[in-house]
Amino acid sequence: MADGNGYDPNGDGDLVGDFVEQWRDPAYNCFSSGHKFCREVCPVTQVTRNENHTPTAFHANIVAMEKGLLGVEDVADDYVHCTQCGACELRCPNTLMAGDFYRVRTRTVDVVKAMRALMVATGNEREQWKLWNERLAERHNEPVLGEIPVSQEHVADWADGLDIPVGGETILFVDCEAAFARTSYTRAFAQLLQKAGYAFGLMREQWCCGGPAAEMGYVDLARKHAEHNVADWRAVGAKRIIVPDPHDYIAFTEDYPKLFGEDYDFEIVLGVELVNELVKEGRIALTQPVERVVTYHDPCRLNKRKGVHEAPRELLRAVPGITFKDVDHVTQWSYCSGGGGGLPIEKPEITEEISRRRVARAQALEVDALISACPWSERPLSDAGAAAAEPLEVLDLFELVAQSAGIEVGGHTHMRPELQA
Amino acid sequence: MSVAIKSAIDDAVIEELRAIFGHDDGRVLTNLSSRVNRTRVPAPFPVHRWADHMPDLAVLPRTAQEVSEVVKLANRRGIPVVPRAGGTGLSDGAVPLRGGILVDCKLMNEIHEVDLVDRTVTVGPGINMLKLNEELRPHGVFYPDDPASYPCSLVGGRIGTGGWSLLGARFGHTRDLVISMEVVLPTGEIVEIGEGGGRKLRKSSTGLTLKQLFTGHQGTLGITTQATLELVPRPEVEFAAFFAFEDYITAWETMGVLTKSGLATLAGVVLFDEWKIDYLRRDDEAYIPQPESVKAVVAVAMYGRRCEVEPASKEVMRLGRSRGGRYLGDEISAGDWASRHDRYAIPLHGRRKDGQAVLMSWHCEDAALNYSVLPQVREEWHAIVSRYRERYDIFDDWGMFAYTSGAHKPWADYLVEIDVGIWEQRLDDETWSAWVDCKREIAEVSLKYGGSITACHGATRAGDAELVPTEMGSAWPVVKRIKRALDPNNVMNPGKQSLDEAYEEERL
Repeated sequence: MADGNGYDPNGDGDLVGDFVEQWRDPAYNCFSSGHKFCREVCPVTQVTRNENHTPTAFHANIVAMEKGLLGVEDVADDYVHCTQCGACELRCPNTLMAGDFYRVRTRTVDVVKAMRALMVATGNEREQWKLWNERLAERHNEPVLGEIPVSQEHVADWADGLDIPVGGETILFVDCEAAFARTSYTRAFAQLLQKAGYAFGLMREQWCCGGPAAEMGYVDLARKHAEHNVADWRAVGAKRIIVPDPHDYIAFTEDYPKLFGEDYDFEIVLGVELVNELVKEGRIALTQPVERVVTYHDPCRLNKRKGVHEAPRELLRAVPGITFKDVDHVTQWSYCSGGGGGLPIEKPEITEEISRRRVARAQALEVDALISACPWSERPLSDAGAAAAEPLEVLDLFELVAQSAGIEVGGHTHMRPELQA
Repeated sequence: MSVAIKSAIDDAVIEELRAIFGHDDGRVLTNLSSRVNRTRVPAPFPVHRWADHMPDLAVLPRTAQEVSEVVKLANRRGIPVVPRAGGTGLSDGAVPLRGGILVDCKLMNEIHEVDLVDRTVTVGPGINMLKLNEELRPHGVFYPDDPASYPCSLVGGRIGTGGWSLLGARFGHTRDLVISMEVVLPTGEIVEIGEGGGRKLRKSSTGLTLKQLFTGHQGTLGITTQATLELVPRPEVEFAAFFAFEDYITAWETMGVLTKSGLATLAGVVLFDEWKIDYLRRDDEAYIPQPESVKAVVAVAMYGRRCEVEPASKEVMRLGRSRGGRYLGDEISAGDWASRHDRYAIPLHGRRKDGQAVLMSWHCEDAALNYSVLPQVREEWHAIVSRYRERYDIFDDWGMFAYTSGAHKPWADYLVEIDVGIWEQRLDDETWSAWVDCKREIAEVSLKYGGSITACHGATRAGDAELVPTEMGSAWPVVKRIKRALDPNNVMNPGKQSLDEAYEEERL
């Protein structure tokens, strides 16, 4: 059965049995409570309204598997319907009301990742994810970009003219999406650090963080990329990794520690928190007024997965001239771009609808730009913004802040010329 | 005339259904996972007999016309039809007992019209109240149907079960808040059901008042495909006060005083008994880290304009303390009331007799009872659960609540619940049967004291269903005639509430 993706928790080859054994009790914790409060905050459920695509189904399926009612092949498609945004875990009363006391929390994202790993290991792969990961294995960078030249040769093209050294104690890790597609994001961030006199270097050879592969169930491939990146960090004596992208931040603070255990002793610094600190310390002066009316999209992996919602708002409010129409971070538990968890690769039509709704919510506030802080969200949101009857611009927070700091950012926000205009 | 039993769905039926749905195969679901996931609701479920309750397939209609075509097909072929909205009910309304076609209404979640002049909102049955209120908020109005399942239950299920609202004493319950609706009858006709006249009229004396018949039928008389609902001015302020007592009777008397106070902004009064407080002590975040001397708590909530609620709150504070109640403070009162939806069942609070924590599912056995009988019913219910817990160490007594239940008349009627934890992983035929017996004994106590088996969940489960004819008494023949007249082939959610009896005489 196993094709060597590395998923075999007990090493005994009984993959389905081990999976059920591992997840049965957490599944019953959901199955037995039956609150279903997770449903209306779930971005996928909001669109498909299909009970199979709900977080409760992801748990109930495991109970049904234990009873012999369902096999992996019966449920594989269900588990594609998840962006791994984490809203369901936050909204679960088992997390909210009893989590601290019993030291448990609902872990639906981990359940989905484990099931996807089981799908790969048992020959229930999804076609597009398989293709994506085959390309990742060849090129070592995110291969979803179509005609964009994705390769090691071009991984640092974004930094042209910025004179950033390679190596050092502090390393900037650049997400594939930001390195190849939205280079303005990365250029803005790097130049903000340079403006503050904050020293950092690039990796010698930067591979994909491996997070997306892990999210799609390709455990071995994810590990291989993690091992490469950590080895590269160690080779240059890095102690600190600066991470602007929220998806990488999840990989480096959740996936990598599990892979490397105590040996993993890097300080992981989240980009938006760092820039916010540098602005508050006066090391980056925001002198140029930006006369725009904006709202902020809480990226799921910052807000829902990591509880980071204050720093981006502080940073946004520090921009002179800005009119900020905020929607609180708890209301935004039910918002999403649809860009995460591999959803746009397998189910692009659902991603598109999630983003369309997110942009429509922003437009109802009568703003002239939607500000996000995650390049993965900015691709579907930009598409939705461009496709709206009255187009809405989608900007990254670093791009906005860089503008206010008087930086000529350069780079591009989108690779597709028709949207670039 | 035959009673529809296990369905006869074949390829021809599936093909006909696909044609109804324009060959949109995402809306005709025959795969195993779609069936497994539309089998149960949060009520205790005989998990060891899961497959017995699966529908044969599920459909996801978008329009009343599609629902109508499906029901006509089912009626013609004698196939059971089971309506399902959120599937969040605490009885078996949405659980198929004989397979068949499950009509899942979740895609019908549109807001068709917000009428701020005549104060109505018209929606599909698949919309959730919290989501609806998010859309209504900018207009300064809200739809006040507020069950414990407020963040997840859907309007269609609320209508089908005849739901109860935490704020019902002030704003009314589901049936008081539905002004009219569009219903697909068991024979497939689409009809407008209201008070009479147009769909936005609250009161009429023309013809027969049919609206009540179509709220709370547990999906046995049709499927609501659209509903016109009440819009209420969004309350300016909310006030909550919690009072602690050292004995149940004093708390019960204080609740009586509060509910008879005549305060128009009173939205709900809740009495928690000693067992419930003990249950809440299992959660270190609960508001009840109160001393052991606390044996009962009364919670009061008011909603309205500031000019009404502020002076009334002073009277509530006086009445709440009038028999020795101790105010639990602003933080506990406001905070706990705000989290009222989140704490209604926590599996980890399950305890075996030796105190070992095990994951238990939650059964909330509800009844409608008058004020005067609450103390006696409480004692008898706890005694029943205690007996079953002693014999089968898979049950746990999670305590009792009594909530004001009369719409706009909080003084005499109560929704009373005893919450029972059930260790679902250990269920087998013997313990499931014991559970059904336990339920039946609880329901019999309610009937003995002039109550009803259920105030809001519905009497659809074994243990309740067989007592429906007893409770309906001399009206039961009328009920049977209505069911048979509207559903001649017994296709609409068959097997529920003993309604199969409606077809027995004819067979004879």
